[in-house]
Amino acid sequence: MSHISYPLQRKFILISFLLIPLALLALFTYYPAMRLVYLSFTSWDGISPVKEWLGLGNYIEIFTNPDLFGVFLHQIPYVLIGIIQNIVAIVFAVILNSKLRGRNFFRVMLFLPFIMNAVAVAFMFQYVFDTTNGSLNGLLGLVGLESWQQSWLGNASLVNYALASIGFWRFMGYNMVIYLGALQSIPGDMYEAAKIDGASRFQMLWSLTIPNLTPIISLNMFLTLSGALAVFDLPFVLTKGGPAGASETFLFKTIETAFQFNNYGLASAMSVVLLLFTAIILLVQNLVINRKGD
Amino acid sequence: MKKVYLPVVLLVILSVFITACGKTESQSADKNEISGTITFLTNRTDMIGEKYDDYAKRFNEKYPDAHVEFEAVTDLDKTTKIRVGSGEFPDVVLIPTIPNSDLPKYFAPLDDLGLNDRIYFKDYKSFENKVYGISVGATTTGILYNKKAFADAGITTVPQTLDEFYAAADKLKAAGKVALASNFKDQWTLYPWSSEIPTAIAGDADLNNNRLQSDAPYQLDNPYGQSMGIIRNMYEKGYLEPDINSTNWEQSKKDIASGKFAMYVIGNWAIPQVIESGTDSANIGYFPFPYDNSDKHNVTLAPDWAYGVNKNSEHPATAKAFVKWMLEDSGFDDFAGFIPVLKDKKPAVTQLTEFNSFKPKYLEAVSDDPKVTAIVNKAQITKEAFVQEFVLASDPQTIIDKYNAAWANAKKSLGN
Repeated sequence: MSHISYPLQRKFILISFLLIPLALLALFTYYPAMRLVYLSFTSWDGISPVKEWLGLGNYIEIFTNPDLFGVFLHQIPYVLIGIIQNIVAIVFAVILNSKLRGRNFFRVMLFLPFIMNAVAVAFMFQYVFDTTNGSLNGLLGLVGLESWQQSWLGNASLVNYALASIGFWRFMGYNMVIYLGALQSIPGDMYEAAKIDGASRFQMLWSLTIPNLTPIISLNMFLTLSGALAVFDLPFVLTKGGPAGASETFLFKTIETAFQFNNYGLASAMSVVLLLFTAIILLVQNLVINRKGD
Repeated sequence: MKKVYLPVVLLVILSVFITACGKTESQSADKNEISGTITFLTNRTDMIGEKYDDYAKRFNEKYPDAHVEFEAVTDLDKTTKIRVGSGEFPDVVLIPTIPNSDLPKYFAPLDDLGLNDRIYFKDYKSFENKVYGISVGATTTGILYNKKAFADAGITTVPQTLDEFYAAADKLKAAGKVALASNFKDQWTLYPWSSEIPTAIAGDADLNNNRLQSDAPYQLDNPYGQSMGIIRNMYEKGYLEPDINSTNWEQSKKDIASGKFAMYVIGNWAIPQVIESGTDSANIGYFPFPYDNSDKHNVTLAPDWAYGVNKNSEHPATAKAFVKWMLEDSGFDDFAGFIPVLKDKKPAVTQLTEFNSFKPKYLEAVSDDPKVTAIVNKAQITKEAFVQEFVLASDPQTIIDKYNAAWANAKKSLGN
């Protein structure tokens, strides 16, 4: 080894240390992703060795078949509730960032839902939303609001809001923690200066806190929107897409297409479309927020 | 693409080394000898460490040189399909949903077991006159009921016609019970209404395959419409759960066991599950579904998963002997509540004896025509979702039209 120069040795060590993680990354991330794109142009059925090349056929099918593309409408409630979720998260973050007795307790309480397993949460809410024995209808009955009792998961116009509210319950605390972290990084002397200038609490929130939070709001909105695009676990466990398909989501359809109808080619194309949509959202959001910042 | 293969090759080489290190047993045994260790991939996770230990011991007693190991997975079809597709899979598996024309690629023919004349569904998993899979058991579809619930509602005889069935449901409703647990929301539980009952009404096991000849296979007045009309009628009369969009399968088994719910339309495989949920076997009965007002009843006889033997197995003779042992000696069909797939073996389950006392005519299921499967997949028809939409729609004709249109489109685009 001694006849190899030091820089060469260094390079050798670097490369050999990187080789295994890079090989694993390539094997389990980039290779499957490239296969996915390739499969999206074929009519593969999941087992046959023959993969018939369809060109753009699968993509045309997605954008022309309202049964596939139309389910995005079911995901609008998730976006709406996601926006409310972010507003509420900011409010809670601001409140819990002030000197409040027991604030750590409240932070933990609000964050706890996030660490629970998604499927367990869905099962839990099955009992909450149950029409006859559910705790939500039970509570409404107890406080005398019998007229509000609903078939929460059986009403086609309500089901997606009911499901999205589970997402709200689960992710609000997570958003809040991110906002809290951002709030704590705003220097205290800026608030002091604002106070000296005679700013009210609301003025401080609106002109100081919110502008400082913008990049974090953009991050959280991205997480929320991409989450809303990729909802799957809640309808899968709670409603199986029902009643009569009202709570099917695009990812739900994708999984059904692949594993129930054995059309892996079309399902791959649907995954690619979802990926592109997420990228487009990210791009548009960045453009909007950057323009505001300049 | 070339660059992509390099890490793959490296990893394959690495894994070969690792597996090679793990192999200590020598594999020199004669292929025709019943010896060596085989593995059976199964979906019964609940039997691992329980009943399967007993099977392993008894199999070994019969064939002292042979051992069997069990591997259970919860998501059987998906897992097995992937492993079969990769070519590396256990000696004995339950054949996943692949076209019959692909069977010879992966599985060994089982004709030399000498069971062909004794089994139901000989042609179900066969290709070019060779049998590649034998069903682990057979199931039929009928009404599972709680005898005490019937007695409480003043029903003394089991309904034999559709009118009697509605009358019984009415009495059960009056007694404050849910007459028929549909498990509507869970969707999969609705399968009898879209396949088994229409087949029984038509009296033709080929009903589902005959859809190939039609551009509008669903009609309100044909077997499909009749069958779905019955559950729609049950829904409108309030004989199902109070809110059918909020049902819970696991809970419903307990409710049937306790008599809060009275009936299921379901396969006989559910009988042991309901009994386990908290009642005596003597309290649970089973009878053929009276889909019309005649006194004759057709019932379907459907296969379950089929045993298949890996054609590249190290111990093919042992694997085959194990399949035969499972069918003849293990007692698995009685344990799982199946009708034995061997025609000469009587079911031990008392509920099936009751069921047979009504002298139903069994329609032995035929395998799905791959063309029909292709149309169903292309049209993305989930047959249970069809039932849901049919029941919930204000006008069921619109749903019939929608599914017929999807069917005709898919059929046309596949060139049938």
